[in-house]
Amino acid sequence: MSPLASTWAAEALAVFAKEWRCELRTRIALNTLGLFAVTTLVVAGVSLGPLGVAKAQGSALLPVLLWLILLFSVAAGLPRAFVQEEETQTATALRLCATPSALFCGKLLYALTLVAGLEVLITPLYVMIMNLQVARPGLLAAALAAGGFGLAAGSTLVAAIIAQARSKGTLFSVLSFPILLPLLILAVELTRNAVVGDPPGMALPQLLLYDASVSIFGLMLFPVVWNP
Amino acid sequence: MKKTLPWLLWLWISAVIVGAFYYAPLAQGFIGKSSRILFFHVPMAWVSFTAFIAAAVWSVLYLMKGRQESHDRAAAVAIQLGLLFGILATVTGALWARVMWGAFWNWDPRQTSILISLLFYAAYLALRGAVDDPEKRGRLSAAYALLGMVVTPFLFWVMPRLTYTLHPEPVVNANGKVEMESRMVQVLLASTFAFTILFFWMHNLHCRLQALLARKVEAQE
Repeated sequence: MSPLASTWAAEALAVFAKEWRCELRTRIALNTLGLFAVTTLVVAGVSLGPLGVAKAQGSALLPVLLWLILLFSVAAGLPRAFVQEEETQTATALRLCATPSALFCGKLLYALTLVAGLEVLITPLYVMIMNLQVARPGLLAAALAAGGFGLAAGSTLVAAIIAQARSKGTLFSVLSFPILLPLLILAVELTRNAVVGDPPGMALPQLLLYDASVSIFGLMLFPVVWNP
Repeated sequence: MKKTLPWLLWLWISAVIVGAFYYAPLAQGFIGKSSRILFFHVPMAWVSFTAFIAAAVWSVLYLMKGRQESHDRAAAVAIQLGLLFGILATVTGALWARVMWGAFWNWDPRQTSILISLLFYAAYLALRGAVDDPEKRGRLSAAYALLGMVVTPFLFWVMPRLTYTLHPEPVVNANGKVEMESRMVQVLLASTFAFTILFFWMHNLHCRLQALLARKVEAQE
């Protein structure tokens, strides 16, 4: 590895490690994300009642509910990655310490681990509580991995944008949902195929294409957003 | 030219309206006279799409050419007008859907796509409203507008192919052919031209007005 690449990788990893160190000190994002997801899951379960939904309707309805829980949980927890830099006035120090691309990758890696943790916590609980029968668990795992990557990539750039604006909390949902909606539609389609047992079709390559486009464009646009 | 353009445009649009109702024939397979909405709905959707592309171009210019306020203003005004024409295209489309499909809204992929893109550009305006510093506002909104260009292909090319759509084929169909009566094509092209000029005229007026207002605020400070 060239010295330049190793420095860049070291910077990205340092940002990633710093994010987790800060998070483990306060546990704000972890608590918000986890508790929000579990509470929403319970609310959805209670609302559907003790009988739940019929199997025929369940394959159409339950994948939508799962992705809505994930989307709203991400909106509740992920913006903190950049908002806290502005609140604690550490953004300038971070601008001096790491190149924008390394910083973006470090923050993205942190968001990815957070979303992956959320999915590992919520999905088995959801399958149990909703009595969801999954015909192709491998495809469900692929949908969660690709969908989770897209959620993290789309949210990271939007979090960097809203951190510099007023009314950050509501603005994150307003700005990120239109960007994440195509991902949500593709992820729901793929999850539905996993539940029913259908092949993934075009939804999986399209979801991967979405992930690649959003992360590459995020990487390209981040210096503009980050540097005054 | 500045004084005659509005009059020429007015005459042209009047001729398009007359042509749409008295010159172009009704299309086959449509209920009643509902096909006439094509001459207004398609150009509005076209102008909305053009406005969003133009906004992306002005955003790139803003970021690459010394962050001039005029480029940022041009992008913002293009998005405001794109939203206006987008809403009009959605409303005319819903009216047509009520006649043809029996309901104003059917979650057809085309309806869903335009709704999401309108939400995106409304969010762009919300972002502009949430940042006070002009340089920061220009920078952040330009980045957000360009992010929209990543999502747009998924909305307009990917989603309509995921599920079945009842929407009629585009003017240039999948085989690259225009299967429309020639008088209809003439009126549609004339209308599209009129709406495009109308957009750029409104854009120019709005940008000049915004520049004057900015200068007034500066003078007051």
